[in-house]
Amino acid sequence: MRLTSLDLLFWAAGFLLNSTLLVILWCRYRARSFPFFTALITLMVVKTIVLYCVQHYGTRDTYFHTYWSLSILETLLQLSVVYEVASLVFRPLDVWAPDLKSTFGWLLGLSIFVAVGLTWLASPPARTWMQSFAKKGDFFAEALLCQLFVAMMGVSVSAGFPWKTHVAAIAQGLGAYSLIAVLIETGHAYFGVGREMPAFVVLSQVRMIAYLGCIVYWIFTLSYDEQPARQMTGKMREQIVDLQTRMAYDLRTLRSRKNR
Amino acid sequence: MNARNIYFLAAVALFLAVNLYVAGYYYFRYRRSSQASWENLLAQLTWTDRNNISQVALDLVDEAGLPRPPGESATLEPSELWGLVGGLEGLQILETNSEVLVDLACYVQQWYPEALGVAERLRQDARELKWHVARLKGAVETGNLQVSFPFYAQRAVVAYYVMTRRVLSLYEASNFAMMSDLQKALWSNVCPPPSGKLTAPSG
Repeated sequence: MRLTSLDLLFWAAGFLLNSTLLVILWCRYRARSFPFFTALITLMVVKTIVLYCVQHYGTRDTYFHTYWSLSILETLLQLSVVYEVASLVFRPLDVWAPDLKSTFGWLLGLSIFVAVGLTWLASPPARTWMQSFAKKGDFFAEALLCQLFVAMMGVSVSAGFPWKTHVAAIAQGLGAYSLIAVLIETGHAYFGVGREMPAFVVLSQVRMIAYLGCIVYWIFTLSYDEQPARQMTGKMREQIVDLQTRMAYDLRTLRSRKNR
Repeated sequence: MNARNIYFLAAVALFLAVNLYVAGYYYFRYRRSSQASWENLLAQLTWTDRNNISQVALDLVDEAGLPRPPGESATLEPSELWGLVGGLEGLQILETNSEVLVDLACYVQQWYPEALGVAERLRQDARELKWHVARLKGAVETGNLQVSFPFYAQRAVVAYYVMTRRVLSLYEASNFAMMSDLQKALWSNVCPPPSGKLTAPSG
């Protein structure tokens, strides 16, 4: 497989940005809070190194199998990041919010159903069944991820869960990327796969640019600490004390009335 | 282009449109809610008659929020209940206020991360209240409001009452200055400022 200078540039940029993000995750102590996300970024760094070596020293078949094995692992880790984000948002007291269990159940079911339906409709023109299976697998994973992030956002806002800055940044980045990836995979499913097809190459490059954009966004947002706890203003404190006094009076009145 | 491809592209277009719409709607709703100031939140509260709320709630539970014995509970007549609660409109006000109360708790969380537990409990109480009101809205559509109102309305009011009681209990039990400040802040939905538009008549 011959790589163009643009391919090599994307490869190098991806490696450098992923490595930078990984350093930030460890040096700014984010890895402990986001172990699956850290594992995903580590995999991206390892994937780049391994594929570069296989591309230089291995056969075409070895590259194909290595690429798809690592892609399956990447998809599994992306789903783990969805779980990680969900557990950080919907387990504020280290217990899953009991009122949302059924909502999660049917939303997950609906997301899988829609992703399966779309994947079934897709018929990517591929030379081998492996290529077709791999592209359908990619499409399914991206469609599922996209829905899960949107569903999480909807449930959290309607049920009143606050988002912390870093969790929101990870979810927004992956959510936006999976939305773009659905578009790219739709293009692949329509035009077909293979480096000899110009549409495939362009779409792959757009996907890479979107991914690099996400990494840059994560580097910036995860570099900074979350907003520290603030101090109440004197006016606000005064107002609160006044409110409390009035409430205590009302309750005393209520108690005396109940006792009559 | 074959028919299957057309269906596929149409389905993906619909999929993306729905997801973008839902994501955009909730994103802007979240931005609005998270950027609201203290004054804005207080201004969103609608005045409610606390005595009526207490009377309805204490007919079913005691002051700690525990159910009364069967013989002593649910003594209010349905017509009396309707008047005290203010009908479905009154319940919708409580529903809106409960949302503001949750926002208020989230707002206080910016100052005191320790408020997380209180905020989560309030959120769950608010969800319970919404569930009861939703049952009543469903009863309106099926024409069963008169039958359903006493049961669901009284439980909705209890949920609202418990939200306020829970905060006072925590305040009374706690000796931590920071915690007490938080609890004072959460009282704002049942005890509006004297100079504000939520000024309540003396009980």
